[in-house]
Amino acid sequence: MFDFLIHGFDVALSPLNIGLAVLGALLGTLFGSLPGIGPINGIAILMPLAYTLGLPAESALILLAAIYTGAEYGGRMSSILLNVPGDAGAVMTTLDGHPLAKKGLAGPALGLSAISSFVGATIAIIGLTLFAPLLAEVAVMFGPAEFFALMVFAFASMSVMMGKDPIKTAIGAVLGVLIGTVGVDSSTGVLRYTFDLPELYDGIDFVVMIIGLFAISEILLMLEHANRKDGNDGLPPLGRVFVSLKEVVACKWTMGRSGLIGFIIGILPGTGASVAGAVAYTTEKRLSDKDNSFGTGNMRGLAAPEAANNASAAGSFVPMLTLGIPGSGTTAVLLGALMLYNITPGPMMFSERPEVAGGLIASLYIGNIVLLALNLPLAGVFARVLTIPRWVLVPGIAILAFVGVFQLHSNLAAIYLMLIIGIFGYLLRKLGFSLAPVILGYVLGGLMEQNLRRALSISGGDLGILWQSGISLGLWIAAFALLVLPWLLPKLLQAKTRKA
Amino acid sequence: MKINKGLSTYASMLMLAGGILAASGVQAQSDATECIAPAKPGGGYDLTCRLAANGLEKTGTIDKPMAVSYMPGGIGAVAYNHVNGVRDDDPNLIVAASTGAAVNLALGKFGEYDADDVRWLGALGVDYGAIVVNADAPWQSLDELMEDLKDNPGDIAFGAGGTVGSQDWMKAALTAKAADLSPRKLKYVSFEGGGEALAALLGNHIQVFTGDLSELQSQLESGKIRVLASLSEERMSGPYADIPTAKEQGYDVQWPIWRGYYMGPNVSDEAYQKWVKRMKALSESQKFAELREDRGLFPMSRFGNEFNDYVLEQVDQFESLAKEVGLKQ
Amino acid sequence: MKLAADRLLGIVLIGLAAFVAVQAMQLEVPFSYDPVGPRAFPLGLAIILAVLSCVLIVKPGSNETWPGRQLGMKLLLVLATLLVYALLFTKLGFIITSLLAVTSLSRIFGASWGKALLTGGLMAVVSYFLFTHALGISLPSGYWVEPLL
Repeated sequence: MFDFLIHGFDVALSPLNIGLAVLGALLGTLFGSLPGIGPINGIAILMPLAYTLGLPAESALILLAAIYTGAEYGGRMSSILLNVPGDAGAVMTTLDGHPLAKKGLAGPALGLSAISSFVGATIAIIGLTLFAPLLAEVAVMFGPAEFFALMVFAFASMSVMMGKDPIKTAIGAVLGVLIGTVGVDSSTGVLRYTFDLPELYDGIDFVVMIIGLFAISEILLMLEHANRKDGNDGLPPLGRVFVSLKEVVACKWTMGRSGLIGFIIGILPGTGASVAGAVAYTTEKRLSDKDNSFGTGNMRGLAAPEAANNASAAGSFVPMLTLGIPGSGTTAVLLGALMLYNITPGPMMFSERPEVAGGLIASLYIGNIVLLALNLPLAGVFARVLTIPRWVLVPGIAILAFVGVFQLHSNLAAIYLMLIIGIFGYLLRKLGFSLAPVILGYVLGGLMEQNLRRALSISGGDLGILWQSGISLGLWIAAFALLVLPWLLPKLLQAKTRKA
Repeated sequence: MKINKGLSTYASMLMLAGGILAASGVQAQSDATECIAPAKPGGGYDLTCRLAANGLEKTGTIDKPMAVSYMPGGIGAVAYNHVNGVRDDDPNLIVAASTGAAVNLALGKFGEYDADDVRWLGALGVDYGAIVVNADAPWQSLDELMEDLKDNPGDIAFGAGGTVGSQDWMKAALTAKAADLSPRKLKYVSFEGGGEALAALLGNHIQVFTGDLSELQSQLESGKIRVLASLSEERMSGPYADIPTAKEQGYDVQWPIWRGYYMGPNVSDEAYQKWVKRMKALSESQKFAELREDRGLFPMSRFGNEFNDYVLEQVDQFESLAKEVGLKQ
Repeated sequence: MKLAADRLLGIVLIGLAAFVAVQAMQLEVPFSYDPVGPRAFPLGLAIILAVLSCVLIVKPGSNETWPGRQLGMKLLLVLATLLVYALLFTKLGFIITSLLAVTSLSRIFGASWGKALLTGGLMAVVSYFLFTHALGISLPSGYWVEPLL
């Protein structure tokens, strides 16, 4: 049954392919760590190169898969060090990763995130190897109604992030959802809030959104820190470099759970690493945040989204390999790469082209080991970014922000938009808002609206479709429990003790 | 260079990646060519640009590699405005387009510019629409589906990867019309891209998927879907040989999705004809045929004025359909 | 002062909610297959936003301290630098504009003129070659630089 995998390792362990996996891991880490330049760009840029070099299909795929996994590792670096997410999956990583760096624990944070990424990815790859065809069946059971229920569940799980200022968290999420409504309505084709500007027809791009919201506002906040009179210039101390075994072991269940969550969300087409990170983070906060320290630099709060986003990256290969349906933007590009080599992914691929299917999965195993080996010892080196003086660091961030947006849009309007969003982000932060709910609202809101409307057009307006299937009913109950139990449980317990 | 003229008001809004703008000033001398893909990397327009870029380079038609740049926005509207407003006479610039662009032009979604505001260059390949159902579905032929659709339009949900008014929707609307059903009475669900719609079909959430032939190959092999009809003029070869056309089943629905290019409105005749010649030569070469096939496209050869007329006529047709169903006044 | 900021925000957000709602009502929808349509969602959001804003006005939360006049000027200077960077980005090309922007930002963040110019020059040239040659990203080079390459 696992012939294809043995065959795959045979292929992947040739010197050329190992070399390509290392090269891809390095390039991917670099692409991922630059804000706005993520795996999609890395793959789109290198795909023609691989093709022109005349690499055989399995080698090209190994290179591209290594870039993909590498970018997932790289995305966390700027999240932790600069509070600027390198890509979509790394948004939740900023929440506890950056506070850790501020406490002088940048090195351990980078180390822990590498290990969590590795654990998450490993869980997902094993899941992919063992159950891919079976999971594909589950993935297609998710129709619009089930996706809508999933989004309701995701919003409900966010309630745990309400924190000390629930009104502002809610307003932030609503503003995020509103930003997500800009552009062509994907059902009727009507233009919403575009003000006749063609640049807004496609909506506000995710990259423009996170670079503006995080990077530009961070520059402005850094200026304030640099000008503090009280001598605390906000520059973090550089503490110890390596993560301790104790810290890793303390997060073992966090990594396991989050990896599983990330994998499951990853196999659903259309939901990505950002949703996986959010659900894993909020679940973990609920389960293990005893002293309410999530958001202030809790190791578990870092391990959860890191394990989840890497697991979801590997999980998105499931629909691609087994159904030929891309589970994410990146796998869509990979699918295009396969087509160039005249390989059509699908259930037949495992029997017809075992060297490709097996080689790809084997290269995911190898790529992750390479990445762990690269990242652990280098954590200390990367952490030194924090010691760069601000007058070098800030211009550097500005250049990265401009290049990141520009290479994607070839268009100055996108850069202006980024600056406007940056000012908006700065004001929000000064007013005591957290940025994560804004981003989550933006990501989840659109999915929620479209899937609700799809479900209701299928049912002809009958609301019953929304909880008809077992999956959606389960998700509704879970969402309800998330909202009600924290409030109800203490009361019930109280009543019990009183009776006794 | 001449670019300066356009760099007035529009330029501040729509200015292209600096590299491109700056490079274009120099390109006039060095003949470095460029293709704009009016989308993000990795999509169909990227593929269209790369088809020309790789083809022209491999056949030695151009000596320097052709640059591919991305200009997403409004399904091509941003690039269309850019070419009309800023680089209207660049002899070395081509822009990728497809049937989808023609549909948007017909609906007036490209702003102030119309279909005859650019010079349509030619198409290098084509894909065809297809009417697809789940392998477990009760319908064995297009006829059975159509009969059922006439009686119970509310029970059959169509789905595809585009909004109302998009080229994906057009396929469903034309199919409905062929069954004497108003496209407004149809049950239609729009998804983000063909992949999601296909997944919904496999999960039985929708009953009919109006997709494109090239994206169906792996599903055909696995036997999970049944293609009731291809929306082509005649039967396709290879893995698609067993799929009947809609026309041979008595429903005159055709939906070619061509992949072609246009140039700025003020490009000289000389430069335009040079490109027409290049494209023609390319389409006739054996090497190119392989490239095109690798990308899952079928042959199509319409160039120059013939192609220009073809696009304009197509836009007219779409426009009357849009008016008919009330999408446009 | 503290309270005023949140109250002001609440009023601004109510204005935003009204704007969102009015815009949504004005959408012209030729026809829609789903019973919900494109208007309902923004309308619902506008209502939620308005309610939340009212709560905010009644019960304002805490804010960070706002920058004083001197710092405010510096912030505007940073924004102005970024805006000029964007305005000239494609016209003068990446290297020149980055040199200017980096030098200016460096100065604002406390570097001496010498250090700032050195940072600007190095960062502009090195990053240009890193992006264009190593990563294959096309950047505006500017008319003037092309003949030199």
